[in-house]
Amino acid sequence: MDFAWSEEQIELRERVAEMARRELSADIQQRDADGTFDLEGWRRCGQLGIQGMPIAGEYGGGGLDPLTTVGVLESLGHACRDNGLVFSINAHLWTAAIPIQDFGSEAQKRRFLPGLCSGALIGGNAMTEPGSGSDAYALATTAEKRGDRYLLRGSKCFITNAPVADLLVVYANSAPARGANGISAFLVEKGMPGFACSETRDKMGLRTSPMAELFFEDCEVPEENRLGREGAGKALFAHSMTWERACILASAVGSMQRLLERCIRTAKERVQFGQPIGRNQLIQTKIVDMKLRLETARALLYQAAWLRGRGRTIYLEAALAKLHISEAWVRTAEDAVQIHGAAGYLRGGDVERELRDALGSRIYSGTNEIQRSIAASLLGL
Amino acid sequence: MAERAEIQETVKSFILEAFLPGEDPDELTPETQLVSSGILDSVATLRLVTFLEERFGIQVEAHEADEEHLNTLASIAELVASKPGPGAR
Repeated sequence: MDFAWSEEQIELRERVAEMARRELSADIQQRDADGTFDLEGWRRCGQLGIQGMPIAGEYGGGGLDPLTTVGVLESLGHACRDNGLVFSINAHLWTAAIPIQDFGSEAQKRRFLPGLCSGALIGGNAMTEPGSGSDAYALATTAEKRGDRYLLRGSKCFITNAPVADLLVVYANSAPARGANGISAFLVEKGMPGFACSETRDKMGLRTSPMAELFFEDCEVPEENRLGREGAGKALFAHSMTWERACILASAVGSMQRLLERCIRTAKERVQFGQPIGRNQLIQTKIVDMKLRLETARALLYQAAWLRGRGRTIYLEAALAKLHISEAWVRTAEDAVQIHGAAGYLRGGDVERELRDALGSRIYSGTNEIQRSIAASLLGL
Repeated sequence: MAERAEIQETVKSFILEAFLPGEDPDELTPETQLVSSGILDSVATLRLVTFLEERFGIQVEAHEADEEHLNTLASIAELVASKPGPGAR
């Protein structure tokens, strides 16, 4: 495996980081408090091509390989203190753009991918329902075929980007008698008849990434908006989730780097008992462990992306990357709070927000309990 | 690439060992429904795909990891046999 960056890759990473430092982190405390999505920041990322990095150039994307893509996302996560915006970009990439590229018809790709890549369109997916979370394929939303369209009936919850999305990949069962094998995917566009979104839900972290519930009451979806063949929903979702689990926490690796740098600064500057607190071995241990977690997280991230770039199926590697990086991020953020003491505990500072933002990573993209279950099965247990 | 009969036997042995321990091998025929019947659930499907890729040196595309292509030993063998062998990636 070769993780050396070329000059072009380094230049791209630095260009994205420079923009993020300059334009994406202003007023983050206030936007976090208000739960405000940074639409201008989203558009600025679109201008740099971030929302289309892994999509083929002929559809408006950057055509970047997976390793380059996660490297840029890592730089974005390091420089952008708005973890919610970066999370929304990730949801858009892995649950809308990639599935359309890999399962869409030529007409669907031509119609939707250029807008998704430029950031003109905001995407996401809708799988989770009140009665089906980890048991995702037990979903109850149905899609009844009526002539040249489908009627979707049901509801979805915890849908990232829902309040701002123009396009959602919605999973519904078009052949309930076939169980999970009857699930199909549909491209539901904002404004389609029978499609409604709740108000934005208040949540603990990633507050600048809007989340809501969706309702489908005989929602009319034209047949040409079915993504993949009928019954392809399970394979499509597995594919989307594998990409997401492998890549969504690239930016968390950048966040961990930022936390480490901040803690080292504090450990050198904060004086107690007549010396910098970094001279205390208990503080040193925490910081060294942060560094160790960062490097192991980065190694798993790069390995999964590198293998994917070589055409390998990465079910196990993706599960392990998601599992380890999320747990490393939470633990690192906890340690950062502890190192900063009461100052790290106060609202309005970056450190406590980082911990709130990190906690969701153990839940989204499949809980860490599910990742361990998948990994165990793939190990033959 | 191996002959279909050989592929079927290899995959049959894997499925018996991994997902149907103790099952009478004669009960698992080339047309036994694997995905539709629930013998292969979602995670078992991931495991089967990983096995196929490693054992036969092929790449299973995302849209092929489904009921249409993996539902029977016969369809699995057809899928594997249709692929270029190792080194063709």
